Amino acid sequence: MSVATFLSDSLAIAENEFRQFRRNRSAILISLVVLPLFFTVSFGAGQGGAGTSFSPTANIPIGFVDNDNTIASLRLWQTLTRSPDFHNLIQSYNEQAAIAELGTKRIYAVIVVPKGFQDALENGNQARLVLYTDDSEPGVSDQIQSTLTGYAQNFDPNVEVQPALSQLQKQSVAGVGVVRKGAIFASFNVGLTTILAIVQIFSVFYEIAGGMARERDEGTYARLLASPIPIGSIMLGKTLFDILLSVLRTFIVLGMGIYGYGAKPSTDFGTILALSLIVAIVTMGIGFVAAALKLGQRAVVIITFFLILFLFAFSGLVIDNNLLVGISKTISSALPFTYAFDALRRTILLGRPLLSLTFDLEYMIEFIIVSFALAFVLLHSFRERLIA
Amino acid sequence: MKELKQLRRDPVSLILTVMFPIILIGIFIVIVAAFSATTHNVPVVVADLDGTPASDAMLNELTRSRFIHVTQLVQTEDQAYQAVNNAQAVGAIIIPQGFGKALLAGDAFVIVSTDNSKLTSSQFVVGAVNQGAQDLVNQVTSGEGGINFGLKIAPIEVITRTMTGRPPSGDPILPGFLGLIAILGGFDDIVNAINRERERGTFPRLTLSPVSLFAVYSGKMSATIVLTILRTALMLVIFSLYGLVIHGNLILIFLTTVLIAIFTFSLGLTISTRIRSTATLTVLEIAMTFPLFSLAGTVNSPLLLAPGGQAIADSLPWTYGNDALRRLIYLGAGPNAIVGDLLILFVSSLILMPIAILLSKRTI
Repeated sequence: MSVATFLSDSLAIAENEFRQFRRNRSAILISLVVLPLFFTVSFGAGQGGAGTSFSPTANIPIGFVDNDNTIASLRLWQTLTRSPDFHNLIQSYNEQAAIAELGTKRIYAVIVVPKGFQDALENGNQARLVLYTDDSEPGVSDQIQSTLTGYAQNFDPNVEVQPALSQLQKQSVAGVGVVRKGAIFASFNVGLTTILAIVQIFSVFYEIAGGMARERDEGTYARLLASPIPIGSIMLGKTLFDILLSVLRTFIVLGMGIYGYGAKPSTDFGTILALSLIVAIVTMGIGFVAAALKLGQRAVVIITFFLILFLFAFSGLVIDNNLLVGISKTISSALPFTYAFDALRRTILLGRPLLSLTFDLEYMIEFIIVSFALAFVLLHSFRERLIA
Repeated sequence: MKELKQLRRDPVSLILTVMFPIILIGIFIVIVAAFSATTHNVPVVVADLDGTPASDAMLNELTRSRFIHVTQLVQTEDQAYQAVNNAQAVGAIIIPQGFGKALLAGDAFVIVSTDNSKLTSSQFVVGAVNQGAQDLVNQVTSGEGGINFGLKIAPIEVITRTMTGRPPSGDPILPGFLGLIAILGGFDDIVNAINRERERGTFPRLTLSPVSLFAVYSGKMSATIVLTILRTALMLVIFSLYGLVIHGNLILIFLTTVLIAIFTFSLGLTISTRIRSTATLTVLEIAMTFPLFSLAGTVNSPLLLAPGGQAIADSLPWTYGNDALRRLIYLGAGPNAIVGDLLILFVSSLILMPIAILLSKRTI
């Protein structure tokens, strides 16, 4: 078979895929609307846009019990209430009554200034604040504790109006400041790298493996194999079709991220598109292998769900690869998506040139070659079984 | 009974019902194990530009850290930054010239430059430097090891006491996972109960039988209730094996997960009147589930979300279900504390069920 015929067959397959896609309203909605929209909007709503900032503790109702009633404790109250982090501080006069309110959703923490607070500061001893928290709210105790500690560490009882604290001062230890350098990224910019990859992985796996499962169910796959079109052309045709969809998805996610939530990637669009397509092609390879295993449509969807969960644990989405140990680290190091997320972060966040990420790129390209070759062999070997 | 019999005959669905909780908990354990590991070796480089006993002491604190590993001592600030830029290290720590003198005056500082594309490792570096600085301050103020620079002490210490006595960063997401299992189970049940019957053509036959549509849906919902009770029991056993102490009334926990599942089932029923394909419905439901991780209080409290996210969280009945589960499991709350949450779930289901029946009648 000549190369021209091979390519012509592949284009025919791609064209057929497009025709089917155009006629399937729910496929269009899921691939190009629901998945990009749900992930981007939910992340943007939860974390705020890249250009906005908010203090997570600002509006949490917190009780404040002053058992010291001195100038120092009054200044601490004023410092906290004037800060951008404690807008909802509620003064209470009875420690036990305030603590009893915890768990009722009326307040989520109580800051108690114990008796002798000012004396301890005047005598050069370490003063204490006691923070009672409702730890049934995940993350809230930690957040209030670290924010309050920042103010406590920098509190000077001799100053009537405490200067506003920078983020840096809030994180520093009294006596030795810690000056942080290196770009700090808005959480939406960080999230954009994850959303882009997750949307591609979710959609592409479903389109390739799920699409072939649907064709098998409908009997069109058997007819396709009975035609003189080789399996290589079928794979290439479907790949071309999905690459175009992936380009559209990249535009949609980036468009929503940049124009809807103010994301500012540190690299050019071409680099992001190239990486996004590499992630998509890596997923296609896995999708073709899954398709060769004769999975049903529903099984494909459920595997997609577990694949994403798996990636959350092992590919550096929640925990960096270098923090994992033992078998978790081995799995993480073998996953091509670990390198994809790394490359996306290095380019989108740090602005590194794509070609400087040689190891990440090499690994992903090698994975693509191996997975496509494996899928070709499996689809070829199981062709009878797949149409049975 | 018919639904449970069908499930028993479908090994794939049966395995999934059991596997969902186990896989979710497995992933949780991997994540928690990595976060709570007692040692890490996050690579850092250090440039000591001061070369005094004080900077030596700081360097000692850094090399003793259980979380960072000083891979290289460099001569200049630029070399340190270069190591981070070239991805040879996650962090560069600079002890500036004059550190010793500044320590005497109580205004010393160190510079930390981190590769913040490594989200968690960079936090470990900053945490280790803060800890090192704190330990140095403690040494200096107590005159340990013959070091005494007359340093100002940290004026105020914050002591945290949680309601349950757990550390502030205890395992806060397990109840959220129980809620998530109830949601996923409810969605899975609706796919099994309605869409598969539609695809096989048995659903119209069922509706033509002398049984009302309400009775059909109620029957299918009863199967979901039984399955949710089984899933909840399995999750509670896993929690117990994991060492989680359940303070609340078990019946209330089961009631909460059942109400979450009923609401999810009712929503799924409404969606299934418009989306007929099993695979499409499953994709849609899974796509809906991921945002719930952040918006419905599964992983983090909705109190910590941005204002827009809080508004969405407040409008989701699942948020109230997760909230009730946390209060029950961690605080041992009684019925009075969670009745509002349960009512929201119940009323939301009551609103959705007639809508689903009405839409179903139009589309059979």
